[in-house]
Amino acid sequence: MSGYIEAGYAVVLGGLTVYGTLLVARERSARRRLPEALWRRRPASHGAEPAAGSPGDGTGPTEP
Amino acid sequence: MWRDALLVAGKDLRIELRSKVAVNQVVPFAVIVVLLFGLAIGQSVSPSGQALPGALANAGILRGAAAGLFWVAVLLSTLLAVQRSFAVESADGARDGLRLSGLDPGGIFLGKCGATMVLLVALEAVLALVAALVYDVHPAAGALLVATCILATAGLVFVGTTYGMLSSGTRVRETLLPLLFFPVGAPVLLAATKAFDAGLSGTPGAATSWIELLAVFAVAYGAVGTVAFGPLLEDG
Amino acid sequence: MRNTSLLLRATGLLAVAGLGATVWLGIWVTPPDEHMGNLVRLLYIHPPAAWVAFLAYGVAFLASLLYLWPRTRDLRLDRVAGASAEVGVVFTALTLLSGSIWGRPTWGTWWTWDPLLTTTALLFVLYLGYLALRSVPGDPVVRARRSAIGALIAFIDVPIVYFSVDWWRSLHQPPTVDLATRQMYVHGSMAWTMLLGFVAMTLLYCWLVGHRYRLATLVAIAESEGAEVALAERRAEARSDRLVGAGLGRLADVPSSPALEPAGAARAETMVETLGSEWRPEGGAGLAGSSAS
Repeated sequence: MSGYIEAGYAVVLGGLTVYGTLLVARERSARRRLPEALWRRRPASHGAEPAAGSPGDGTGPTEP
Repeated sequence: MWRDALLVAGKDLRIELRSKVAVNQVVPFAVIVVLLFGLAIGQSVSPSGQALPGALANAGILRGAAAGLFWVAVLLSTLLAVQRSFAVESADGARDGLRLSGLDPGGIFLGKCGATMVLLVALEAVLALVAALVYDVHPAAGALLVATCILATAGLVFVGTTYGMLSSGTRVRETLLPLLFFPVGAPVLLAATKAFDAGLSGTPGAATSWIELLAVFAVAYGAVGTVAFGPLLEDG
Repeated sequence: MRNTSLLLRATGLLAVAGLGATVWLGIWVTPPDEHMGNLVRLLYIHPPAAWVAFLAYGVAFLASLLYLWPRTRDLRLDRVAGASAEVGVVFTALTLLSGSIWGRPTWGTWWTWDPLLTTTALLFVLYLGYLALRSVPGDPVVRARRSAIGALIAFIDVPIVYFSVDWWRSLHQPPTVDLATRQMYVHGSMAWTMLLGFVAMTLLYCWLVGHRYRLATLVAIAESEGAEVALAERRAEARSDRLVGAGLGRLADVPSSPALEPAGAARAETMVETLGSEWRPEGGAGLAGSSAS
């Protein structure tokens, strides 16, 4: 193949991966900066669950 | 609403008569832009690589691009005119006065647009003379050119004034307004240039669809601006 | 609320799986085209990206319109519009880039003033302006109205731009380089792969908008209630430090603090609710336990 195809796929999928990763990172840092009181007032029933937004939360598109 | 529009337009034009900002600053700016285009294109060389005998060689390129260059100069001047139109309101709490005046917001919008349009059409008349001289074009079909000027200016001023109001409450308005305004104004630039080309080359029939496009643009954004101006004025 | 989180996560996983399958089918399984050869493989990824870009702007326009309509006015719609427009700008940029990469071997040039290309490029700058307008700080309600009107103006321009550029080209010269996709015959496995690409990209769009919306909600909480809550917390801490001692400061009665108005607190609570249950800061579980005791 000509290299153009690989370049096209790399640009689209790479760009989306970068954007998705940045988005999740921004979300996590925004959540961390929120004052704790907002969260402390919530019921503790979900306490055992680990914090989400982790990379396992669908890391955006990656080539298989 | 129309009476209010006349009031506001009269006020803005009186301010211009006394301050002469458009005459002393915006018109010379437009003329400079037209001259700068001439300089930029004057640097061109022939395909064989040697500099062409200036006046003769560039006349062709300049004449071909004259309409487009003219309208880019108008687009840039519109930005200045709109910014001036809102600078007038920003000093001494004039905006609060406008809000408290009880005038119909749509009327205020149309009035401000009307005043800016009058200034810009006058500017275009001067600019057309200068451009015709330095770009060496001979206008035919005068009525078409005048109609294009009026419709295109109306469209540009409607969009410009709405966006001007949108950004006037912010601290970044000088940089925000061009970013908002130029992409939306792009089809007007295109349509007005094509209509002018038709007028200059003596084939006014080719301009019909462009004139229609300019009219649709002006009506659409005139309507949006008239409706949206009230809420935007309240937000201050 | 847990359900929306699960749904979003499932959407993300499906999108990644779908895109992976598209890449596999597109590069290794489908046959080369008779006319375009292997270059046809970009068909499975470039048009879907372009479709998502236009879809995103359509969603942003609809949300803005609904926001301007007094009966459906809701700041959540404003956040949807902003999220969708930002994702749309990303997809537009990728569409332009991949289209350029496709155009080079197909037409022999990186760029041509084709109506679709020119419209897309103008759309890109148009919505960059919209995002710039959104990023201006200020009162959320004022900003929402301003942004909604900006989105309206931008979206009205889209058909006008398209028609003007289309006429410009057709009056100028017959289109020598038409977009390849318009005259191509897509069949069999190629059609299925292309469809899969469209579905996967749309799912990915949903996932990205969902996360962008959450981010916008978090920022909105931080802007409106965050400062108040933090202030109340510090005050309560200072007061209990004086009365009881440092160790018990955490148990101070936050709601009774004068700075935290009941209405404001309730609003913050509902906003937190929309974020889904698992969205707590690190260490939040321990704190939640201590306050519940």
